[in-house]
Amino acid sequence: MPVKRVFVANRGEIAVRVIRAAQALGIETVLGTSAADKDGLGATLADRSVVLGPAQAARSYLDEKLIVHAAKATGCDALHPGYGFLSERPALARLCEEEGIAFVGPRPETIEALGDKLSARRIAEASDVPLVPGTPAMESAEAAREAADEIGYPVVMKATAGGGGRGMFFARGPEEITASFGKASEEARAAFGDGSLYIERFVENARHVEVQVMGDGEGKVVHFGERDCSVQRRYQKVIEEAPCTVMPEDVRADLHAAAVKLTSDLNYRNAGTVEFLYDVDRNEFYFIEVNARIQVEHPVTECISGQDLVGLQLRIAGGEGLDLEQSDIALGGHAIECRINAEDADHDFRPSPGRIKHWTPPTGENVRLDTFCREGDLIPPFYDSMIGKLIVHGSDRDDAVRRMLAALDDFTIEGLTTNLNFQRFIIGHPDFRNNAITTRWLEQTGLPAFAERQEQ
Amino acid sequence: MENIKPEDIKVLIELFDQTEWRELSLEVEGLNLFLSKDANAHRPQPAAPAADSAPAASPAPAAAKKGSAEPAAKPAASEASAKTGAEPPEGTVAVRAPNLGTFYRSPKPGAEPYVEVGQEVDEDTEICLIEVMKLFTPVSAGVKGVVRQICVEDGQMVEHDEPLIYIEPAE
Repeated sequence: MPVKRVFVANRGEIAVRVIRAAQALGIETVLGTSAADKDGLGATLADRSVVLGPAQAARSYLDEKLIVHAAKATGCDALHPGYGFLSERPALARLCEEEGIAFVGPRPETIEALGDKLSARRIAEASDVPLVPGTPAMESAEAAREAADEIGYPVVMKATAGGGGRGMFFARGPEEITASFGKASEEARAAFGDGSLYIERFVENARHVEVQVMGDGEGKVVHFGERDCSVQRRYQKVIEEAPCTVMPEDVRADLHAAAVKLTSDLNYRNAGTVEFLYDVDRNEFYFIEVNARIQVEHPVTECISGQDLVGLQLRIAGGEGLDLEQSDIALGGHAIECRINAEDADHDFRPSPGRIKHWTPPTGENVRLDTFCREGDLIPPFYDSMIGKLIVHGSDRDDAVRRMLAALDDFTIEGLTTNLNFQRFIIGHPDFRNNAITTRWLEQTGLPAFAERQEQ
Repeated sequence: MENIKPEDIKVLIELFDQTEWRELSLEVEGLNLFLSKDANAHRPQPAAPAADSAPAASPAPAAAKKGSAEPAAKPAASEASAKTGAEPPEGTVAVRAPNLGTFYRSPKPGAEPYVEVGQEVDEDTEICLIEVMKLFTPVSAGVKGVVRQICVEDGQMVEHDEPLIYIEPAE
């Protein structure tokens, strides 16, 4: 039964995105908002909106019972969780299942299995998807040296029994293991009662690459190519692009195959992203995790594939299956997304909520803006600071970079401080233009360069 | 307005329901009532402010627009009637829903309602239940006074901050 009326259990730009995708399919929409968002763009666009609770997310967007109650009371037959909030809580997916509401996402047991790090690693191993080379627990420096020789330096040693950096050290060669093993092991024993350490290969020059997949829940999975999200600050993605142009074709094909194999083995249902670390020097990739939901950066994939991923999600949830073959998915051009945040890049990226006094977004061919903001809107201080995603599509990466620079220049937002200036700086930086980026580039090079520019 | 009691409006709605009329628009002093059997119906222009916009001075345009775009849903009809429940009696304060949920006037089906119009209540008198997925949470009056109006029908969904009952505070 195709979805007739979907409950949108999220806010911000993704709520708007889901509403528009539903409207394009003739599906009615009900948006559940907090009191702070009740007059927002999403509430205006939705066929109906209901106020779930006060501004605090814990009493509105994060209360799965409240949300499912609202979905039932408004006659919805499906629920889209967006990203963040409850999107990867097995409890919400399970509650929907119990109440006969189609959850627009994977099965609860899939979300559960992938949400646990160790369980996710076991799943990857079972599907022959490579993990960062590492060892089981090592009891002595001698054993550790032998194992590290096989893995290849540099390596990181970590406490088997816990995290937080206790007992962790970095070694470029065997002599550094000899020098640090005893002390680190003692530290681990003191902190966790277990002095054993394990070894992981340290990837010096890494890219964050991820593969977008869509599954019908019965073993059929197609992919939509990869994204490169290596520009990160504190593990938060700042810029995303598709495809990853530094990857050789054969590695790319293996990467796609690994993502499809892993999810297909799980009978994965709906949209998902398999994330990998790509070792640029070795041309190898390693599994990180699966995000069992639609992601913030899905538009870059939509640009290069011409597919409406959220629309496909809704159709799969409605039991319409996946009427796409891999050969139907043709990828073309290059797309870049900049996250536009209400934050002050000149002051440690502190959030800058407030009222939008003036809002003139860039327009034109191949420019897309996913946002919930309008001139005059108040950006409430209760939620994350992302106010929009600016996406451009070019014939190749250079073309996309030029289009992004022009689009950022054309974007005027007044009334609150945004990171437009910061994005302009990063996209225009020679390292970004030359695609000489790793996951540590922004923090090691980009941020200091931006700060220096301030001092000039 | 003093002459029109919530019961009167309830009776009007019941009568309207029994007729073959599609719409009813009533304007008397202090009251502007619009009833329709079409969930997509528009209130005739110029529109009077919706009931809940009066005391809270909340931005009305969104609410007004909303009605027109409402999906032709089963719950819409009963809600429309409640939200047309006119302005609150003068000198009263609203007890509002702490969150979205289903409103129940009685502790269990068939039992006596917690409160009736005209009844005196204390701050901690329980006035109704709000149910979320079988979890029933009592709502207290929060103010000492007399119940002047009950705004919501039993078993109906209410949204966060929606007025449930109006109480005239004791001096």
